[in-house]
Amino acid sequence: MKKKRTRAAAQAGGDLVGGRKRVLVVLFVPSLERDGTTSIDQERWIDSALELFGRVFGGATAYPKAKGIWRDDERGGSLVKDEPVVIHCYTTPDDIQDYSNLAELGGFCRKMGREANQGEVGLVVGDEYFAIRNFAGE
Amino acid sequence: MKTHLDMDKIAKGLGAERRGKISAKGGYFGALQLLADIEARLRVPAGGGRPTDPRWTERRLVPLAPETLDRLEQLTVGIREHGNVSLEPMQLAGLLLEKTTEQLSDEDAEKLVRPRPTGRR
Repeated sequence: MKKKRTRAAAQAGGDLVGGRKRVLVVLFVPSLERDGTTSIDQERWIDSALELFGRVFGGATAYPKAKGIWRDDERGGSLVKDEPVVIHCYTTPDDIQDYSNLAELGGFCRKMGREANQGEVGLVVGDEYFAIRNFAGE
Repeated sequence: MKTHLDMDKIAKGLGAERRGKISAKGGYFGALQLLADIEARLRVPAGGGRPTDPRWTERRLVPLAPETLDRLEQLTVGIREHGNVSLEPMQLAGLLLEKTTEQLSDEDAEKLVRPRPTGRR
């Protein structure tokens, strides 16, 4: 998969020089459902995530697929092999701590978790990993 | 310059659980490194074994006396050397807690928390 980049992300370089957009937000878009065999429409979720990051935080970059694996403790510790896509988004401390932005990002993660039948949706903000496991509500 | 973020506020706003610090760097290699880091936390160790029991989903802070921690460390060193098992002191503590909890009767538990006689009249 080729690297996708929103126009706003291309402009983020200038912001980084000025030190304004200094918080890295990372979203993992899975390729499979939690059963480890059923494929999801990954391209759709990548496009939706990029659109969200572009609109809410000003830009993002999706990197090529990587091969991954994770352990599903709620299903007897079975291993789920995956080819996730990592999306990077640089934003400002104000934007990432804004409740409406967080609600939109959290809502997207819950929707992806629910519709793509995931056990967990992973998100990194700054230097911390956040796990979303309750997918009720948008 | 390090950016201060209110991680509790972010977790609440996202509806997410804080799951620990991570070294996140930008760029392609940063993305790959981060992915490997996340996976390493979830991977089943090649040696397998009880310490990573998937039933152990709860985490609590347990107060310990320094002597107790020293003893756990001594025991762990011995187990590592003789048992060829990768084990941390608090993983051993988890095993001991589980085993003792299974074996302890209600009466024994009550005796443990009953105030000790002071020896005064």
